[in-house]
Amino acid sequence: MPHAPDQDSCAKGAVPPSADTFENQILSLVPSLRRYSRSLAKSDSDGEDLLQDCVEKVLVRRDQWRGINLRAWAFTIMTNLYRDRHRRFSQHPSVELDDTLGLTAEDTSGDPLEKTRLQQALNALSPDHRSVLMLIVIEGYGYQDVADMLAIPIGTVMSRLSRARRQMAAQLAENNIVTLRRPK
Amino acid sequence: MTDEHNTVTEADLHAFVDGFLDEERRRKIELWLKGHPEEAAEVRQWQAQAAALKAAFSNYAQPNANDGILLSTARPSSASSMPWRKTALIAASLMLFLSGAAAGIYGDRLLSQSAPIENAAALESLPGQSKTAFLVYASEKRHPVEVGADQEDHLVAWLGKRLDYKLVAPDLKALGFSLVGGRLLPVNGKAGAMLMYQDAAGQRLTVLLGKNPENGETSFRFESAGNLETFYWIDGTIGYAVTGEVSRAKLQEIAEECYRQFES
Repeated sequence: MPHAPDQDSCAKGAVPPSADTFENQILSLVPSLRRYSRSLAKSDSDGEDLLQDCVEKVLVRRDQWRGINLRAWAFTIMTNLYRDRHRRFSQHPSVELDDTLGLTAEDTSGDPLEKTRLQQALNALSPDHRSVLMLIVIEGYGYQDVADMLAIPIGTVMSRLSRARRQMAAQLAENNIVTLRRPK
Repeated sequence: MTDEHNTVTEADLHAFVDGFLDEERRRKIELWLKGHPEEAAEVRQWQAQAAALKAAFSNYAQPNANDGILLSTARPSSASSMPWRKTALIAASLMLFLSGAAAGIYGDRLLSQSAPIENAAALESLPGQSKTAFLVYASEKRHPVEVGADQEDHLVAWLGKRLDYKLVAPDLKALGFSLVGGRLLPVNGKAGAMLMYQDAAGQRLTVLLGKNPENGETSFRFESAGNLETFYWIDGTIGYAVTGEVSRAKLQEIAEECYRQFES
């Protein structure tokens, strides 16, 4: 079996990472996991929940990690959790109380109206389409990487990406909104 | 169209947008797009979309003071650690809050963290609420307003007080509309105000004002639904929406006039 541990454990050769090392590696991944979870979620609190569940699962399943690319492994776990949660929540729609919550002003420079529109268009995507779009656009993964992470053919990655982009574009256009500069 | 041009696939266009092409291929696609305006427009849309997504989420990639707790309280040995981990998190935040509140430093920050969420939810519905208010009240014959234009001073003082804002009823006479009056109504779940105007033909339009939980400023937005047109924007602590069954050009003139006369 090929052994390609992450950079951190590389120096230690075949010695399995100690608990401390593993947890520290996870800790260093938390910021990018947070960004990914938020890009999948409907609100900040929803995103933090998903992040917590993901970290929990990563720690519980640490024995299943094959020592290859911890980040990609954690992202795969996050994606699966997100899909499961979405399925569960759509069966019990009453849980989705924060459905209308939008992006917060983490990015205060942006136009809040525009951000709300963007969030709505994202919420209309299916979990499969949304996760592919985010892994590529936000997290910068290549098409083949995404295919490997999600265990789907690359053709499926491309068709999901294409569908996500077109649906977003249509949704954003549908609102028939024209932005004008303010008068003096 | 040459053979070479025919080899551009949709996957190439995605790779072009995502920056996965080598320089030579990228230039070829660029050239090809010049001859294919429809595809070029779509590619531009995708690029704008990607930029908007990056802008919206890149700031989240940050460590948080509680991240250590995420790890330290989730033990692989106890598969059912979730409830108590969450309890620990809540306890930790509560401790932070209490100690912060005691020192008087965290209160503001906690409040400002919760406000934007409310804000975003509220913003979403501003043009929607304006349209609803128009549909309900503009067609009303006997009681379109609570306080008529004959008591304008009382009207603006009363509504301004509820909004905690120095309200004026914009003078739109130059544009052919005069004030009918106004009413108090809920906007974004709080006290808001609606002003109504009408022209000589009895054509009405409404101006909705609602509290915007955080200070902000947006450009003008125009939304169209059937015959109904709405202009909306945020300025400081107030969100504004002007709705009417008039042309877009006319409504823009009216909205701009309102913007000029409203104090931010």
